[in-house]
Amino acid sequence: MSTTAATPAFANEPLLELRRADVRASALEALAALDARLPLEVPMLIGTELVRGEAFASVDPGAPERIVAHAHAAGAAHVDAAVARAVDGQQVWGARPAAERAAVLRRAAELLRGRRLELAALAVRECGKPWPEADGDVCEAIDFLMYYAAGAEALDRGRPLIQMPGERNTMKYVPRGVTGVIAPWNFPLAIAAGMASAALATGNAVVLKPAEQAPACAKAVVDALHAAGVPHDALSLLPGGDEPGRALVADHRVHTIVFTGSCAAGLSILESAAKVQHNQFHIKKVVAEMGGKNVVIVDADADLDDVVPALLSSAFGFAGQKCSAASRVLVHAQVHDALVERLAGAVRTLQVGPAEDFATDVPAVIDAAAQMRVRRYTAQAAPAATRVAAASEALPAGDGFYVAPTLLVGLPDEHPVIQEEIFGPVLAVQSVPSIAAACDAVDASRFALTGGLFSRSPKTIEEVVARTPVGNLYVNREITGAMVGRQPFGGGRLSGTGPKAGGPDYLLPFVEARAVTENTVRHGLVV
Amino acid sequence: MLMDAEATRDLDIESSVTTIGRALVAAMPTARKTPRAAVERRVMAAMVDDPELRAAVFRFVDVRPACTDPSDLARHLGELLAEADDSPLAQRGAALAGGALTKRPVAAAAALGVKQMAQRFIIGADAQAALPAVEKLWRAGVATTIDLLGEATVTEEEADSYAERCEVTLRVLHDAARRWPERPLLERDAAGAIPRVNLSVKVSALTPLLRPTAPERGIAGAEARLRRLLRVARDTGAHLHVDMESFDTREAVTELTLRLLSEPEFVDGPSAGIVLQAYLTESPQHLDRLLAWARQTPRAQPFTIRLVKGAYWDHETVEAVQHGWTPPVFQDRRACDRNFEALSRRLIDAQDADTPTRIRAAIASHNLRSIAHAAAYADARGADVELQVLRGLGDETQAALLQEGRRVRAYCPIGDLVAGMAYLVRRLLENTSNDSFLRAQAEGVDLTTLLEKP
Repeated sequence: MSTTAATPAFANEPLLELRRADVRASALEALAALDARLPLEVPMLIGTELVRGEAFASVDPGAPERIVAHAHAAGAAHVDAAVARAVDGQQVWGARPAAERAAVLRRAAELLRGRRLELAALAVRECGKPWPEADGDVCEAIDFLMYYAAGAEALDRGRPLIQMPGERNTMKYVPRGVTGVIAPWNFPLAIAAGMASAALATGNAVVLKPAEQAPACAKAVVDALHAAGVPHDALSLLPGGDEPGRALVADHRVHTIVFTGSCAAGLSILESAAKVQHNQFHIKKVVAEMGGKNVVIVDADADLDDVVPALLSSAFGFAGQKCSAASRVLVHAQVHDALVERLAGAVRTLQVGPAEDFATDVPAVIDAAAQMRVRRYTAQAAPAATRVAAASEALPAGDGFYVAPTLLVGLPDEHPVIQEEIFGPVLAVQSVPSIAAACDAVDASRFALTGGLFSRSPKTIEEVVARTPVGNLYVNREITGAMVGRQPFGGGRLSGTGPKAGGPDYLLPFVEARAVTENTVRHGLVV
Repeated sequence: MLMDAEATRDLDIESSVTTIGRALVAAMPTARKTPRAAVERRVMAAMVDDPELRAAVFRFVDVRPACTDPSDLARHLGELLAEADDSPLAQRGAALAGGALTKRPVAAAAALGVKQMAQRFIIGADAQAALPAVEKLWRAGVATTIDLLGEATVTEEEADSYAERCEVTLRVLHDAARRWPERPLLERDAAGAIPRVNLSVKVSALTPLLRPTAPERGIAGAEARLRRLLRVARDTGAHLHVDMESFDTREAVTELTLRLLSEPEFVDGPSAGIVLQAYLTESPQHLDRLLAWARQTPRAQPFTIRLVKGAYWDHETVEAVQHGWTPPVFQDRRACDRNFEALSRRLIDAQDADTPTRIRAAIASHNLRSIAHAAAYADARGADVELQVLRGLGDETQAALLQEGRRVRAYCPIGDLVAGMAYLVRRLLENTSNDSFLRAQAEGVDLTTLLEKP
């Protein structure tokens, strides 16, 4: 049995029961309280210093005139300073017993728990996450802290080895060293907390570079970790764009880089990290979770009553901006027309609007660049599609980065919309003659993150499970919403390096294994 | 002193609960008279004792309408039965279904089995087809409420089509019901005339916009269609009953129904109602709300509250556990049964209350104890009560109630097989669940135990 398995005590943080009116009312109160405090300020946190630099604004994607935070962008010099502190911090933090580090992480989880509504409100505002998703983000952040705390304690107990008379064999895990964490905006709390806490739990100092679009959420996580007892030298926060990220990856004192984001950025990190500099005596490890082009296969015997709602939430929840979002459907020819008819009608019922409105199905996308990219894809695809359906309601007025959720039917395999990750509310449906043909198409993809299958044939399910290259396959359900400890998340191929966040193996890239063999024979006597 | 009076009344009721319960059992058709029911019972019993077989059968029933031809059907049946590793019965079935020679006959038999089972619960493909069955029940002395089964509503067009089918059903029934003979017990109670035509509608089928976190959207989405149906019901003199579904939609369903019935245009009609689910731990508060509304809202026609246990127990429990929530439903059967009785008493009492809108109580159950208790309490209070059963599942209870001269209404789904599967699976679940009253009855649990106070 794996010693990194979570202790049985782990249980996912319960989601807010937002179907109850009083819970929704308190969420809106928390939002009003947050709004009254905006804009927040997010300076660089380097050691105990608050450092100010070139300011940039983080805005509400649904109403960009609302500034959520003024953040201060780090430059290469700030990275240098933060890594220098981290080298010191590493010595102190890495020397703390695993149980103590775990206790600190659990305290941080408790602090986040105490600020549940406030943090969800922050994710609603800063990243345009609708409430249930924003709350899920907070819960997942708490889950990561709890799960990795337990995992690190288990790892610290080492692995059992074969013992012979006269020798004592042990294998222990030690921290690797300063870890650069480069976080995305789509799970602004959870992924930042998850990547940082995995490194911290295993005794590594962290320099966290959050997404440019989500500095305030990252600061909330860092504040909780500091308040819980992570030494300031062991955790720095460097808001900013590409520059601090690049400098962090290139720094020879950094041992591990943890990244979640686009495929292009991930590949460039892998390339840069692979270069060993003259004063660097280690090989950098990169943990990367990258893009996806997630396919849902619908068999002829699928229950369309289940398929349609699951596709809606998988493709259009959070405007299709989850790594696991569905973007392509391969449906058996027998039920293709029926599915398209119902799906098209269902897409037209979707309500596009501000994330804070509980009635919203599809919020704005993250920024103007994303809005333009999605619009470019749909404009380019529309003439090639046999059918296009989009949310019929007029988009909300104002400058919000809204795009209409769009369903495209009948595009050829080689079309960019079929092959490339769009990261927006666009779903393409294609007809396939058989499930085997669908599997071939999935197999032809560069990506292998998540996938879905709707079938009521046990044999078909078995066959697709055996054939699929994806990291997470969801059968007869929506394909997003992986839970820590229940659905370890991550993919292969160009979707990532694949140690599976929230799973029993995730901590391994953050540690070095050391085996010690001691000879216990003295003068022929085993002592 | 009040406590003493209540305790005495309670005692009186207990003895009449037993009397009524025993009389009902005596009046039930015996298995000998209905051999097919006996066979079904044995099958059900086998399924209860063999969870893997039960799962395989449910999954087969579920996928059956999606199968295109007999070989497709045989393939699914074989695969599903084969998955039930620990069930020798299922393994034998799988071997049979997989055999080249038997493939077609087995599939045909299985398909027929499901169809026959479905036909016990579903009285016809549409209103016209169901008319003979509805009329036959009426002539026998059983009122009905019609429920239209359909696919899940995910588009506005589907919502329109469901509303349209409801409207057609109301009109078809209206035209036919005029020719039915008089049945005084079914047509009048203390609250006044009872419509012959009674339709149950689902708000989730009237709009694709029901969202658990935004009840207002579902309300807005269903409002126009429900209003139209209320008008048709009013103009044809029918009763319109709004069904209750999963907990996620309860708020929207309740709010929408009460809001529309409060509107001036519906002051004079139609007769309408809603459902109270006793398995919800919050149902007493929910009843408070319904009664408070009745106290504040003057309506000429009575407001029927149908008390049920609730058919989404597994769904509610699984969903709550997966999300880390406290399940909204009782986890203890006896507590649920006690709540059912307490709500029955409150509903029966509420009928006499001096409110601008009169309350009509409908007790829907197959639990002999619950039925006998409601009847005994109503008798003691000299109150009227309607008892409701499900077509197919409560046929024997219905026959007994009829024979005992009590007002009984059967909940009759209409629709095709495909649309009826979800309904059928829910009913089968109900019939074979571990704490099912029907199961206990079928297993021959003695009458004293069955009639025990929960």
